[in-house]
Amino acid sequence: MADTPAVSVNHLTKVFKGTLVKGAFRAVQDLSLEVKAGEVYGLIGPNGSGKSTTMKVILGLLKPTQGSTSIFGVPSTEVASRHSVGFLPENPYFYKHLTGRETLHFYGSLCGMRGERLKARTDEMLAITGLEDAATRRVGGYSKGMLQRLGLAQALIHEPRLLVLDEPTAGVDPAGSRKIRDLIIEFRARGITVLVTSHLLEQMQEVCDRVGIMAHGRMVREGRLEDLIAVENQTEMVLENASPALLTKINALIQAEGGDTKLVRSGRPRTTLERLFIEATNESKKP
Amino acid sequence: MSDAPTSPNTEAQTRVRFSPRRVWTLAMATVTQLVRMKILAFLVVFCLLAVGAGFAFSVINPEQQLNLLKSVTLGSLQIFSIVIGVVSTALLLPKDMEDRTLYTILSKPVPRFDYLLGKLIGVLLLIGGGLIVMDAVLSLILWLRQSMLFEDAVARMQMEKLDSPEAVAQVREIVARQGLTWNLHWAVWAIFLKATVVTTVALLLSSIASSTLFTIVITFCITIIGHGEALIREFFFQPNLSGMASRAATLVLAVICPDLAQFDIVDSVVSGEIVPWGAVYDMTGIAALYVTVYLFVTHLLFVEKEL
Ligand SMILES: Nc1ncnc2c1ncn2[C@@H]1O[C@H](COP(=O)(O)OP(=O)(O)OP(=O)(O)O)[C@@H](O)[C@H]1O
Ligand SMILES: [Mg+2]
Repeated sequence: MADTPAVSVNHLTKVFKGTLVKGAFRAVQDLSLEVKAGEVYGLIGPNGSGKSTTMKVILGLLKPTQGSTSIFGVPSTEVASRHSVGFLPENPYFYKHLTGRETLHFYGSLCGMRGERLKARTDEMLAITGLEDAATRRVGGYSKGMLQRLGLAQALIHEPRLLVLDEPTAGVDPAGSRKIRDLIIEFRARGITVLVTSHLLEQMQEVCDRVGIMAHGRMVREGRLEDLIAVENQTEMVLENASPALLTKINALIQAEGGDTKLVRSGRPRTTLERLFIEATNESKKP
Repeated sequence: MSDAPTSPNTEAQTRVRFSPRRVWTLAMATVTQLVRMKILAFLVVFCLLAVGAGFAFSVINPEQQLNLLKSVTLGSLQIFSIVIGVVSTALLLPKDMEDRTLYTILSKPVPRFDYLLGKLIGVLLLIGGGLIVMDAVLSLILWLRQSMLFEDAVARMQMEKLDSPEAVAQVREIVARQGLTWNLHWAVWAIFLKATVVTTVALLLSSIASSTLFTIVITFCITIIGHGEALIREFFFQPNLSGMASRAATLVLAVICPDLAQFDIVDSVVSGEIVPWGAVYDMTGIAALYVTVYLFVTHLLFVEKEL
């Protein structure tokens, strides 16, 4: 049981059928990935690279054109696979006439929870996501960040072993998104597997054990984060308040050193994952 | 992994079965949503209409007066229930898809059939609840009006010294037949059945259509055609088709378009005819059959649907 992957995607291809006017669209192409139980897996890629599509197939909302997906070994096509997963779609929205608490009650009872357990769990979720004050307000009046947090609460309500989060930090303010990052770290500590997409690479770098970089529906890089972003034969220096004169001097020193040593790049430091992201996704465009 | 929150094997591997509780949860969410959309405001409109039809006009003949009251109110009930059934069904499903609320619902262990059934039952509960209230209001007004008219008539007969026991009994009989009887409730039941069938048609269409407007327009077209189905059958099939072909064509037509004339007992109730039990059974059976078939087709379409 321990080595059943939380999510496995085998040679998934997803083609959206076209209409007469526009042709079919290949959103995901022969994608394989595996999320091991207990890890945080980050899926990153440019807009339209097929991240959300992949997640929807995993959740059984879309049917794969080819290939298959499963959650803890149960095929996504079976409703039973959804017992152990919580999903936060991108830009979630809920019944606007229900209050925050009623919304969580609704999702809880859909999962077969009831009575005291449901009540306690609802309150717990409201507390975790910081929505206690808004619990009695109608969802129609929620801000974007509050909706996102309600979406997270809803995904967690039935204590799933796996969380699938599609851009959990979109539209959330910096403090809020930091909080979501902390939550993800906490989930990992409690043994919950997380599959997450985000465009905030800095935060992804902080929480993810492994990342996969997608471009044009394919996986272009995948692996443990340290392995991906470490470049063995390079050294990075970050200077503060360096004068142009000092930089020239350092340059001169490097040149004087000769041999293989050369200055690869200088400028403002970027997060390494960001650099990798841009390199990897640009590469795949060329062929 | 020792403190993983849920017990892994047991629940993940058993098949998710149909659950009445889950359907009820979905139905109640639908009702709550519709009620909070203030859709029940039509109840107030109806009550005003019923009071107006009951007391505003004064027609000399008590029989006509009661007739008018019944036909106006039952007619408007029919329209209200169909419009509410169609519009709310056509609004709810596409809205869930657009808002991605459906993603969050179906990513819980909720079979798609439970979702559909929940929506349908929610809308029907709302219509049913509304009809019960309006049935009560209508009964009350009819009963009040009936006794008022009877006393008026008797008073008039007394003035004209025509109040022989036989004459009074005759008036009582006429007024009672036109007034509050079980027939009224059967008429309301028939209205509910018709609205149910039309709502299921709307559900079917909204599971394939991409726009609300399309669903509403087509459902209303089907409703209109459904009322004239007997006419169409007579007009097209009798003269030139052999027995088998005509039967087949009738069947096809009846499958595509529910024969809504089956539920038209309102007119006979208005004119004071007695509705036999057999007719009520038949109507209910036909409605159940239509709903089952349409719901099944809707399920087949919806299960395959890409969200
Ligand atoms: N229902 C659909 N019908 C047709 N094409 C679709 C559909 N859903 C998605 N696509 C297309 O599939 C591609 C991948 O979309 P997807 O939503 O998976 O991208 P993404 O990686 O999540 O992007 P983003 O970062 O912007 O969220 C896009 O080009 C999109 O236009
Ligand atoms: Mg996306």
